[in-house]
Amino acid sequence: MAIQHRHSEQLNSAFYALSDPTRRAILARLASGEASVSQLMEPFELSQPTISKHLKVLEHAGLIEGGRDAQRRPRKLAPLAMKDIADWIEPFRQQWDTRFNNLDAHLAHIKNQET
Amino acid sequence: MPAQPHTAETRLEIDRSAHTIRMARVFDAPRAAIFAAWTQPEQVTCWWDPAGEPLTTCEIDLRPGGAFRFVSKGRPDMPFSGVYSEIAPPDRLIFEAMGATGRVVLRDVAGETHMVVEIQCRSAEHLDQFLEMGVQTGTSQTLDNLVAYARGRSIAIDEPA
Repeated sequence: MAIQHRHSEQLNSAFYALSDPTRRAILARLASGEASVSQLMEPFELSQPTISKHLKVLEHAGLIEGGRDAQRRPRKLAPLAMKDIADWIEPFRQQWDTRFNNLDAHLAHIKNQET
Repeated sequence: MPAQPHTAETRLEIDRSAHTIRMARVFDAPRAAIFAAWTQPEQVTCWWDPAGEPLTTCEIDLRPGGAFRFVSKGRPDMPFSGVYSEIAPPDRLIFEAMGATGRVVLRDVAGETHMVVEIQCRSAEHLDQFLEMGVQTGTSQTLDNLVAYARGRSIAIDEPA
């Protein structure tokens, strides 16, 4: 489990970054292709400093990365970061999913006994 | 005969600001049957262990302030134990376990039961610990438990009551 522990700081900041609806919307926008700050300002009707602040949080969390063009600094998704989060949660979900599958089968069993 | 089987999936949502883990699932059974399955030891023992083994210990003192203790065969070192705080059949069961508050809420929707299980932790760090327990126990169980009964189906967690 060393990998998970090594990533836990990163996960903390990723979950924090994901807790804000504007930042989730920015991520959704970037999922359809990279965009610069000015390109992000328009759809979200936010000021440049506000967008920059959100981008800084997303960047710090490792969820997005800057493009090559330093002048325009277009941002794009860091797809592996999202996968890390999903991979981290999945075993927990699977454990409860299996438990609820058991419950489901148990309920069906009881129902069959009654009829 | 049971109805047409549908794909089982438990929806999981993490609300980090409220440090709460929320899981939702639909069952083709009445609320009372599910409430009983959560609160009668002879029933809990049948389904609690994800490995599919009967519990080695399943004690339930079903009253506010009453204790429960579930011990699975594979993890005798990690009992699931706590104290009930609210028992309101057939729709609500609340307990304190491992420093967190657990809530089981059952809603009747067109003859099916929508179940939401919430684990509200003390802090974001505490929530991480809960999820990490899943990582630790879940990985081996993923290999052990490829058997799925596939009769429930997922629901949207945030749908209106």
